[in-house]
Amino acid sequence: MRGYLAGRMEAFDGLYAALASRLRAYLIALCRDAALADDLLQETFMQMHRSRRTYEPGRPVAPWVFAIARHVYLMNRRGSARRVRFLERVAAAVRAEDAAQDAARLLADVDAVRRALREVPADQRRALVMHHVEGWSFAEIADRLGIRLNAAKTRAFRGMKKMREQLK
Amino acid sequence: MSAPPELRELIARDLAPARPLPPPSTRALALVPIAAAIVAAVPLLHELRPDLPAIGALRAFGFSIAQAIAGMFVVAAALRESVPGRQWTAGQLSALLAGGLALPAILPGFAASAFDVAPRAQGAAVIAVACFRTSALAALPALAAASVLSARAFPLRPAVAGALYGLGCGLIADAGLRLWCEFSAPSHVLIAHVGAVILSMAVGVAAALVSRRR
Repeated sequence: MRGYLAGRMEAFDGLYAALASRLRAYLIALCRDAALADDLLQETFMQMHRSRRTYEPGRPVAPWVFAIARHVYLMNRRGSARRVRFLERVAAAVRAEDAAQDAARLLADVDAVRRALREVPADQRRALVMHHVEGWSFAEIADRLGIRLNAAKTRAFRGMKKMREQLK
Repeated sequence: MSAPPELRELIARDLAPARPLPPPSTRALALVPIAAAIVAAVPLLHELRPDLPAIGALRAFGFSIAQAIAGMFVVAAALRESVPGRQWTAGQLSALLAGGLALPAILPGFAASAFDVAPRAQGAAVIAVACFRTSALAALPALAAASVLSARAFPLRPAVAGALYGLGCGLIADAGLRLWCEFSAPSHVLIAHVGAVILSMAVGVAAALVSRRR
């Protein structure tokens, strides 16, 4: 961990080799989905990298990393709940004009949302999906896309506006 | 098990040396000057409690300093809570919160000449408001500093960290207030003093949640 804090890539490789399999097993136990656990494992290492200066030298690494992994899992679960709510909200908004819709119409709504989303410019669509569908915060989106916080908010807002226009 | 290439690439792109944060107790020491200034400022801006000759400087200053130190310990506990893997258990948290809230409720009785020194009935509300306002305002500088210190780490439970450093800062402010306010009646203490500490905790929670979202 000291080597990693000093900026040595081989130290990161060593850390990954030592922790990845245990972390993956832990994440599988939490989410019961191997594919999702693999994604969460990568995100855990990214989050660990972003907050590496909070590690206190001399203390065991495992509790620190596992706490981050659990946090990543909980954030993902919260994002999933938000994703479900978002899809329900979009479907409800489309449904509002005609309350008595059947399942086929609902599928058509989802299809309409997909088509509307395709009409949104790529940069806006990316911010929109990352925030409203995947549950990332604007700060995290800005961090990941390498843009400013306000730019992330603006892109998501404009993307949503454009999508609503398409759905009308 | 080796790292996937895309993860290695992302990490390598940003792999600058990082200086670890000092331990929470060391980081909490940054608050000592602010805490000392708060404890000194309240009696300096108002006046020393009128019953000081009766109770003696040791009881007046001793209890206040002890409470301010306890406040610093609680802030250090909040900074520890802000480090991944070092969160307090539910039992430890309950003890910290209960102990912290008990201090401003119990200490005034021991620091005063009697356990039920109450303001006169017609002025009680004005005095309670003055104490509440002074304590709440005095806590703000420490709250701002503690909020920055906590946010520089990575609090996985920001509301808990905020409640703890809010409690610590409330205790520090109340320690200064005790050098001005001589009343120990439970009604006054619970509403004006403990109430201000609880408000400080609420502000801490809000500050931690806001700084987490940004």
